[in-house]
Amino acid sequence: MIEVENLSRKFGNLLAVENVTLHVDEGEVFGFLGPNGAGKTTTVRMLCCLIGKTSGQARIGDFSVDNESDCLKIRKIVGFLPENVGLYDSLSAYRNLDFYGRLYEVPVQKRQENIERLLRLLGIWERREDSVGTFSKGTKQKIAIARALIHEPQVLFLDEPTANLDPEAAKTVRDFILDLKKEKTTIVLNTHNLDEAERLCDRIAILKTRLVAVDSPKNLERSLYNRKTIVHLEGVSDAILAAVKNLSSVKNVRSSDNKLILDIDDPEKDNPKVVRAIVSAGGNIQYVTELRSTLEDVYLKLIREASAK
Amino acid sequence: MRLWKSWIVTQKDLSVFKKNKYVLYSLVAMPIIMGVVLPVIFIFALNAEIVTLSHAQSLAAANQIVSIATMYLVLIASILPSIIASYSFVGEKVEKSLEPLLATPTTDGELLLGKSLAAFVPCMAVTYIGAAISAPIIDYWSYTKLGVLLIPNLYWLLVMGVIAPLSCIMSVEANIIVSSKVNDIRAAQQLGGLVVLPLVFIVIFAATSAQLSILLALVVSVGLAVADAALFFLSKATFQREEILTKWK
Repeated sequence: MIEVENLSRKFGNLLAVENVTLHVDEGEVFGFLGPNGAGKTTTVRMLCCLIGKTSGQARIGDFSVDNESDCLKIRKIVGFLPENVGLYDSLSAYRNLDFYGRLYEVPVQKRQENIERLLRLLGIWERREDSVGTFSKGTKQKIAIARALIHEPQVLFLDEPTANLDPEAAKTVRDFILDLKKEKTTIVLNTHNLDEAERLCDRIAILKTRLVAVDSPKNLERSLYNRKTIVHLEGVSDAILAAVKNLSSVKNVRSSDNKLILDIDDPEKDNPKVVRAIVSAGGNIQYVTELRSTLEDVYLKLIREASAK
Repeated sequence: MRLWKSWIVTQKDLSVFKKNKYVLYSLVAMPIIMGVVLPVIFIFALNAEIVTLSHAQSLAAANQIVSIATMYLVLIASILPSIIASYSFVGEKVEKSLEPLLATPTTDGELLLGKSLAAFVPCMAVTYIGAAISAPIIDYWSYTKLGVLLIPNLYWLLVMGVIAPLSCIMSVEANIIVSSKVNDIRAAQQLGGLVVLPLVFIVIFAATSAQLSILLALVVSVGLAVADAALFFLSKATFQREEILTKWK
C-alpha cells in the first residue's frame, strides 16, 4: 500500500529525514516511533503530499508523491489526523464533518450516512449540533479522527492521536483505532507512546532522522538479547545441568538461585524438550518463563546508538 | 481550478464569521457609519450653505459631496478586509486548522480563492448595502432641494463598479501576505490596517480634488489594477502549502 525508497528531506542545511526506505502492507497498522525532531511528522507530511521531498521515491497505492496530479489523488485516498486537531470551534461537530466531507467530494447521501455512523460510533451523535468549542479535548480528538475517516480513506495517517489526552480519552481513541484495525484499514501511526505502539502496531519503525529499525514489536523486543528461557526449580543439581547442556537446542546455560537461564533460538519448539530433560534428571520445576526486554529497552538502546553515530 | 471547491471554503468561512460577533458588528457598523451617518452630516452642512449659493454653485457643492461620500464607501471595501481576512487566514492559524485543510484534495489556488472570496464577498456586499442606503438619502435631498438626482452618475458608477472591488481585492491580498508573518488576529488587523493606509490617502486626495474626479478615478483604477496584479503574485507565492506548514509560524 505504501512504498518508500530512500526518502529524504532537507530544510535549509538541516537534514530532517534521511534515506528512509520501508513499505506498509494493506490493512497493516504501522507505527513510527522516535524522539521529538526525529522526522516522523515530516515523513508523514511527505507521504500525505503536504510537503515535498528533497530526494527519493514514495508511492501510496498507485500514486507517486512526485506528481502534482497524483498528489490530489493521494490526498483523496488518505485520511490525516494532525497533531493539533484543528477543528472549527464555532461550528458544530456535524458542520465540521460536513465541510470536510464536501472537500473530499463525498456525495451528499453518503456524507450524511458517514457522519451519522461515525458520530454514533464515537458517542457524539446526540451532541452533533453543539459547537465544537464546547467539547472536551478527548471528544475533539474523536471528532478529528471522524473527520479523517469521513471519506472512507484507504490509508489513515494519525500523528500523535492520544497526545495530551487523559487516560480515559486516550483509551477511547486507542479502542477506536483497534476497531479500525479489525476493519483492515491501513494505518500509519506516529507516536511517542511505546505502550500504545506495542498494543496497536503490527510493525514499528524506529526513526531518528534515519530509519534505525523496522520490525514487529515482539521481534524488536527480542532483538536486544537472544531469546532466553528461565526455569525456576526447587533446586539445581549437577545432573540437571548436565542434562540441559546435552540438549543441542540449548546454546548456553547459566545457573543462579535455583534458576536456570537458557539461551534458546526457538523456545516454542524447544522448551518442552528442556522440561522433559530436567524432569528426567530429577528436577522439580516450579515454573518456566521467558526473559524479555521491553520495547522501551530496545527503543532507548537503538536511539542512543543512532545518536552516537 | 474548480470554483465549486473554492466556494465550499468560502461558505465555511462565512459560517464561521456569522458566529463571530466582532466580525458581525463590523459588518453592520461600517455601512451605517459610511452609508448613513456621513451623508446625513454632509447634507446638514450643505443645507446651511445652500441658502447663500446660486443653483449652479449648489449643484457643484452637492456633486462634491457625492464624490466624497462615494469615496468614503470605498473605505468600507478597503478597511473591512483587514478585519475579515485576518480572521480568515490568521484565524485558521490560531485554530491550527490549516493543516487538515491542506490535507484535503484541494489545490492551493482553490483554497486561496475560497478564502479570498470569503473576505471579498461580505466586504463588497456591505459596501453595496452602504451605497444602496446612501444613494436614496442623497438623491432625496438633491431632488427636493435642487430638482435633480445626483446618483447614479459616471463617477459614482466608476467608483462603485471598479475602484471599490479593486480596493477590496488589494486589501484582501495584502492581508494574505500579512497573515503569513503574524500569529495573532489583532496584529494582523493592525498591520492590515497599515497596509491600506495609502488607499485612505488616495481617498482623502480624491475627496479634496473633486473637479478631477473622473480622471482621477480612472488613474486610481489603473493604479489599483497594477497593484492588485503585483500583490496577487506575491500572495500566491506566500500561500503555498509547503510555505504555510513550514514557515507560517
